Amino acid sequence: MQKRKISVSAQKRKEAYFFILPAFFYILLVMGYPMVYNAVLSLKNMDVKNLKSGASVFIGLQNYTELFGNETFRLVLKNTFVFTIACLVFQFTIGFAFALFFKQHFPLSGLIRGMILISYMMPMAVTGLLGKNMFMNDGLINDLLKRIGMTGPEWLTNTTYSLPAVIIMNCWVGIPFNMLLLISGLTSIHDDVYESAMIDGAGWGKRFVFITLPLMKSSILAVLMLGFIYTFRAFDLMYIMTKGGPLNSTDVLGTYSYMFSFTQFKFSRGAAVAMVLFACLFVVGMFYLHLLRREEE
Amino acid sequence: MMKKILALVLMLAVCFSVFAVAHAEPTEVELWHYFDSSNDKDMINKWVDDYNALQDKIHITATYVSRQELMNQYAIGAISGELPDIGMVDSPDMASFISLGVFADITDQLNAWGELDQFYPGPLSSCMDAEGKLYGLPQNTNCLALGCNMDLLKAAGYDHMPKDLTELKEMVAKTSDPENGIYGMAMCCIGTEEGTFQLLPWLRSSVGGQGVNVDNLTAQSAVDGLTVLGDFIHNNYMSKEAVNWTQADAWYAFCAGKAAMVECGTWHLAMTGDINGAFEYDFCLLPTGEEGTSTSTIGGENFGICTGCKDTDACVDFLKWMCSKEKEAEWAVGAGKIPVRGDSEAEYTYETKGFQVFVDEMNYAQARGPHAEWPTISEAIYTACQSVFVDNADPAEALAKAMETIAPIVAENPLP
Repeated sequence: MQKRKISVSAQKRKEAYFFILPAFFYILLVMGYPMVYNAVLSLKNMDVKNLKSGASVFIGLQNYTELFGNETFRLVLKNTFVFTIACLVFQFTIGFAFALFFKQHFPLSGLIRGMILISYMMPMAVTGLLGKNMFMNDGLINDLLKRIGMTGPEWLTNTTYSLPAVIIMNCWVGIPFNMLLLISGLTSIHDDVYESAMIDGAGWGKRFVFITLPLMKSSILAVLMLGFIYTFRAFDLMYIMTKGGPLNSTDVLGTYSYMFSFTQFKFSRGAAVAMVLFACLFVVGMFYLHLLRREEE
Repeated sequence: MMKKILALVLMLAVCFSVFAVAHAEPTEVELWHYFDSSNDKDMINKWVDDYNALQDKIHITATYVSRQELMNQYAIGAISGELPDIGMVDSPDMASFISLGVFADITDQLNAWGELDQFYPGPLSSCMDAEGKLYGLPQNTNCLALGCNMDLLKAAGYDHMPKDLTELKEMVAKTSDPENGIYGMAMCCIGTEEGTFQLLPWLRSSVGGQGVNVDNLTAQSAVDGLTVLGDFIHNNYMSKEAVNWTQADAWYAFCAGKAAMVECGTWHLAMTGDINGAFEYDFCLLPTGEEGTSTSTIGGENFGICTGCKDTDACVDFLKWMCSKEKEAEWAVGAGKIPVRGDSEAEYTYETKGFQVFVDEMNYAQARGPHAEWPTISEAIYTACQSVFVDNADPAEALAKAMETIAPIVAENPLP
């Protein structure tokens, strides 16, 4: 009997492996191959001079050591983290506030909620162009500031303000996205939970801290992780709005890798930047999986 | 029996006619271009249709691909081999793509043509590799000169355009009225190849009859040229937005009356309608140095035959037709460019005085490269200039830093 049980379980395992085989091959081909190719490329010296002749050779970690020794790359790495973290903080906080607000039922709430989503539905190229025009020195933002007696900064022509301008534009897109995901999490909490808390005398603050936050934990985690991954690999907004400038002040890993590979044709250097980007996201992804697993347990 | 013979003859006739039709079918070839202004775009489409009707060897399909996307596709195609049959490329980029193996060697076909000596050496050299092999033909050329709002100059007390750098500085200062959003000068200083194109004349400014090349940017005249531009921005004589402006943005600022003078290209002569009669305008040589001298940059587009082309000889025939004496003159007039051949006589029917200025300016214009690593050189140049405009860096130090990148590149492969 015991023997039969073991053989059934082994059979089931075999079937399970068979079912995941297509997905495994798909991942291997579509994701694995480019990743391995990119990793190998980052260890070579392939560029405009030797691509045709095929004379590129392995140079070990030289691309990486040169990158980390390069002042511009360190700035780009810093920009990427500052951009991602700042966007996450503002997008999440404001998005959560909006989600809580629009969960209330009041006239026109659905319409206004829908209108807020317009910025999220717009293609990033359009958002970039809008940002470029709005943040010009005599553009809409500075004009509005002037009307209330303030002098606006030189947003896109000053290395101090260019990144905040891009962050604001990204938040404009990211807030509705966060709101959308968080609202769906909020609707899964039944009203009777709040009602019983109210009968017990819990105020708004206590209900938020002891009911909303704990019950939203998995939604919040997903929103933050998705937001981090999506924001960390940003490219199109910077490319359209500032081309990474002025003076690399809005360059992030995505635009910097693109510049090496498609403007300067330093393919291996571009691949090394892409690998750094991948490594950062891999660490974050593993951390997310760890948290998920812990929650499941 | 007779019926059988007739049937056989009929069948053979059908087979031969099918074969004949199949044989006459032209080879489908792809041409990729990035002509986006209405004049250029309409002309290339019409020319392709005309050429398709002229012969039956190939049938060309012209496809517009934005300039940056075209660059990406060439870079990807260099590895994957998926390339069009005929491709357009900005002249300074051609050397890199030749080096990447995007274009095929067509030296023999072009030498056999016997008309190469009619092409200006500058544009033609941008289609060659270091060994002098040809990979395409220049199709049009252009350069940069100075456009002036004569009304604003008159209001500032001038009845003429600037003759030298000293006078330009004076005029730029006097015509600036930043309070009302009017600047003395407008140009493109963006951190791309477009920025380098416009910045180079000032770095190569001629002092004492001596201009400098890109391999010697620490020369005093280059430092002085950059200092002048830096002062324009820091004194509010030129909008700081110039660091994000494309050439089109600078031109539209001029057309809107927001700039007294603009560094503009030959193609803008076909766009003077944008001024809409709002003010009187004129063009003069770029006053980048002493009186009687000027410096400018050569621009323009080349067409090459891509590696793996389905019918190289027939496609080369198209290039020869497109770059023939008559077609060159026709393109120059229609698209507002300068012919690349000395024997082409473009009879401009508009802005004739302006075109004469740009044709004169060509005598002072220099090509960018050609060099396989020009994009890296270009990045070093615009970064140095932007550090002066944005970060108030010292021009001499900024250019010295640029030379740290440029010097090893040109030491390995010198610029022509």
